[in-house]
Amino acid sequence: MKFLCLECNTAMKFKESKAPEGGALTAIFECPDCFGEIAMHMNPWETQMLKSLDVQLGGKSDSAPPMQMVRSFLSDPNEGAFSSGHAPEHASSTASEPEGGKCPFTSVVADAFQNQAPEPVDLVWTEDALERLNRIPSFVQSMAKAGIEEFAREKGIAEITGEVMDAARGNFGM
Amino acid sequence: MKTYNDLPSDGGSDVAGQVARQVGRLTKRLQSVSHTVAIMSGKGGVGKSSITANLASALALRGKRVGVLDADINGPSIAKMMGVRGASVEYGTEGVTPATSPLGVKVMSMDLFLKDDDTPVLWEAQTQKDAFTWRGTMEISALREFLSDTEWGSLDYLLIDLPPGTDRLPNLIDLLPNLGGTIVVTIPSGVSQLVVKKSLTMAKEIVNIPIVGLVENMAAYVCADCGKTENLFPASDTAEMARRFQIPLLGKIPFDPRISMAADNGNTFVEKYPDTSASHSISEIAEKTESFFNHNT
Repeated sequence: MKFLCLECNTAMKFKESKAPEGGALTAIFECPDCFGEIAMHMNPWETQMLKSLDVQLGGKSDSAPPMQMVRSFLSDPNEGAFSSGHAPEHASSTASEPEGGKCPFTSVVADAFQNQAPEPVDLVWTEDALERLNRIPSFVQSMAKAGIEEFAREKGIAEITGEVMDAARGNFGM
Repeated sequence: MKTYNDLPSDGGSDVAGQVARQVGRLTKRLQSVSHTVAIMSGKGGVGKSSITANLASALALRGKRVGVLDADINGPSIAKMMGVRGASVEYGTEGVTPATSPLGVKVMSMDLFLKDDDTPVLWEAQTQKDAFTWRGTMEISALREFLSDTEWGSLDYLLIDLPPGTDRLPNLIDLLPNLGGTIVVTIPSGVSQLVVKKSLTMAKEIVNIPIVGLVENMAAYVCADCGKTENLFPASDTAEMARRFQIPLLGKIPFDPRISMAADNGNTFVEKYPDTSASHSISEIAEKTESFFNHNT
């Protein structure tokens, strides 16, 4: 899909994406000549199709961790299979790739960390931390949760609080 | 006004480049695999997975390095049949280490990632309504990741157990254009063979993949008490089908309830009951498979 600025007859460039709202992703394109912008709203099915292709708006680094798509989007997985104990060192960096800011889904994770978040597992989550986790869009929740728990275990932290989440976010470079 | 082809890029996403890199990653991964073989039928319930698991073990018993990819994303059964269900997959920097069967067969299956017996494969989405629009694409992406992100290491054979459906082979070919060959499984029923013929046409004439041969499963029943062989189905025309499509009939595997019992217990039949008629048939199929690739590569 390509976008043309009719005013300038120039190809528009991807500028940024907005977190899916109700499953509908928004991508902003800008004309490099007149700086005019357009927003492309994708309905939930189009957004899901983009996810299923495992491609990212704005480009994607070549160093995606193994099984990134399956690990990110499989519902209700075996916790052991995706737990930090088995995750690759860079698995949680899914949300911190150099171009992560351009990825609509990793951006969502970053936003969620900035604003709020969660839900529980073997580690103890405080109420406010759980609340923040629950505010993360469901399809990236498991990935975010695994990343935070991995961070907590590495630091020997037994209770996950909002502060721990903030620290984890900083650790991921988001 | 400029048209689509006048515009040099898609605005910076480089979706075509992303897809090309996915293909490159897969190609690089499979460079150390000598032969990729799809086990297919088109028809469900003919024993593809059982034959895949046993053929893998038979090849391993012949000293070959073997991997099995369970391409049945929604109905995975290979992990259970090969006794690796519940095994942990290990993440490394270069990929995911697959489960390994007692005979050293490397196994990758969606089953290794599911929470429990009752958990179906569902993908995170705002809604599962109208998921038909994207679910198939998600499954193909998962299959691509299984192929490209599993640390298969050096293998002589990577067997790919395809789910039912005559469309499965062309879907796989989109991922693996250099698929080495396919083994087609049928049972001696007219209904099965009706569907299998479509699969053979697909493989031979549409996607032009070498056919290693045809396998007739549940060919007969051998009485455990007296050893007498009885047909399970009316007269079979599997041999005629092989002649018509000019492909080898690799073998006929008699029905043996212990095949199912062994699978339920996580054992492969050829390992547990090597001195049986069915095991001999499977071993012969393994030998012919090896012979096929020795002569065609």
